Amino acid sequence: MAVTANYQESTKSRLLLPKERQSRFVISPVKGVARGAAVTFLSLVVLIPFAALITNAFNGGVSGFWNAVTAKESLHAIGLTFFCAALGSALNSAAGLATAWVLVRDRFWGQGLLNALIDLPFALPTVVAGVTLYTLYGPLSPIHLSLTGTWIGITLAIMFVTLPFTVRAVQPVLETMTFTAQAAAATLGASPIRIFRTITLPALAPALLAGTGLAFARSIGEYGSVVFISNNLPYKTELASSYIFSLTSSSQNTAASAASLALLVVAMALLGLFSVLSYHFSRGNR
Amino acid sequence: MKRSPLTLRVAVLTYVGLLIGLPLFFVFQQTFSRGFGVLWQALNDQQMDAAMILSAKVALVAVPLNVLFGVGTSLWIVRSPSRITAVLDRLIDIPLAISPIIVGLVLMLAYGQNGWFGQTFASWGWNIMFSYPGIVIASIFVSLPLVSRQVIPLLREVGTHAEETAATLGAGPWRIFFTITLRSITWATAYGVTLTLARVIGEYGAVLVVSGNIALVTQTLTLNIGANFDNFNNYQGFVGSAVLALSSIIILSMLSIARNRERKRHEYLA
Repeated sequence: MAVTANYQESTKSRLLLPKERQSRFVISPVKGVARGAAVTFLSLVVLIPFAALITNAFNGGVSGFWNAVTAKESLHAIGLTFFCAALGSALNSAAGLATAWVLVRDRFWGQGLLNALIDLPFALPTVVAGVTLYTLYGPLSPIHLSLTGTWIGITLAIMFVTLPFTVRAVQPVLETMTFTAQAAAATLGASPIRIFRTITLPALAPALLAGTGLAFARSIGEYGSVVFISNNLPYKTELASSYIFSLTSSSQNTAASAASLALLVVAMALLGLFSVLSYHFSRGNR
Repeated sequence: MKRSPLTLRVAVLTYVGLLIGLPLFFVFQQTFSRGFGVLWQALNDQQMDAAMILSAKVALVAVPLNVLFGVGTSLWIVRSPSRITAVLDRLIDIPLAISPIIVGLVLMLAYGQNGWFGQTFASWGWNIMFSYPGIVIASIFVSLPLVSRQVIPLLREVGTHAEETAATLGAGPWRIFFTITLRSITWATAYGVTLTLARVIGEYGAVLVVSGNIALVTQTLTLNIGANFDNFNNYQGFVGSAVLALSSIIILSMLSIARNRERKRHEYLA
């Protein structure tokens, strides 16, 4: 009897807790200390350094910030960065879709290897990718194809680094997709291209956009993989990261901070646009 | 299921093969191109070995700290949602969207010689930038969200039913934490740890800015590879690259094991 009573009492007090009090099941004595430590850790590593970036960017006032951002070399570097990032991630969203499609819909020899290779850019250090691409497609190229110091070379490096993003975003959606609507459309005489454009693509659009957005964000900040093949020629193939690095190396902290802040703001704005588009498409699907 | 056209399959295989397969093959081909004697010598290169040891030392500190932080904040964000955790949830993701060069720059601005706290720390005899602590902080920064991104969705999904049941059966909070909460996120955490490890070992840009890149002292393996290529010592660079490529292949297999275990657990529960 006592056990039953005890059980009922404890179920009452523990099971019927309001949602926000569920946290009592996680150890409480150390909770306060742990939370304090987590916030301190985050502040020391991320927040305080970021505050330093913002104040440094405006060291020379708003006009100083503006002058640093609109300096010719800075504008060129930022422009080239966004151009190559957009081109690379756009190409990869098409290639990624095709790759995911083949991986999900087909069974063929070497598929496991293909699937494993896709993840390699996630794990391979960027500098290894950078030096390898530089040797393969650089001045010493064994296949006599020199892309060093061209925007094509930069885009190639970006495509290497961002390949997994779209594939891994689209793959799970394709796996759970039922193709009944497509079959119905086919019986009604729609062409494969029309079926793809009007049924399959809209359903994949949110995942495709999310993956492309991630790839785009990654490529804006890319350094190790592009620095070797780009050759860092100011006004020609110098990317924003390299430009900021060269300013940092010569202790021009204010200009470096200003360019970094501008790059971050534009990148955030573009990514915001991506998530709005993605949201729009996923609403259209419902 | 209708198969896709053969041309599409060939196109995909060619694309991935040229873009990823060929470079990977090339690293190993170059490494073994001069025979094992030369390779052995290159592997015993003093600078490269010092760089490898430094990379390992950095990972040894940065990875555990990030795991602790990642699991802790995930529990906090999922189990006691509040306005603070909503902000925290957003803030954690910042490092993924930032150029590693900018990561290095912001750390220099805060902790460098001319930074906010540089002078203060220097007067205490602490040198953060251009030394080991700076490299560790930069590595932590770039890999900060990798554990919590894996653990948060899983914690949301498993809910608190099992924990509540254990509590009704009289288990104490610590026992619940270790036997249920921690057990349910083990493989997701393992996945996050492996991603963190890969990122920490492979970081280049952020470490380049904060370390000063001094051979034998603050040069990590990735920096050593870059320096070898800058000095036209390409073969040595390829040997270092092969070491890292091999470790990333090992990391990838660990990832796939973690993913499969997680999927099995999923199927078992369902």
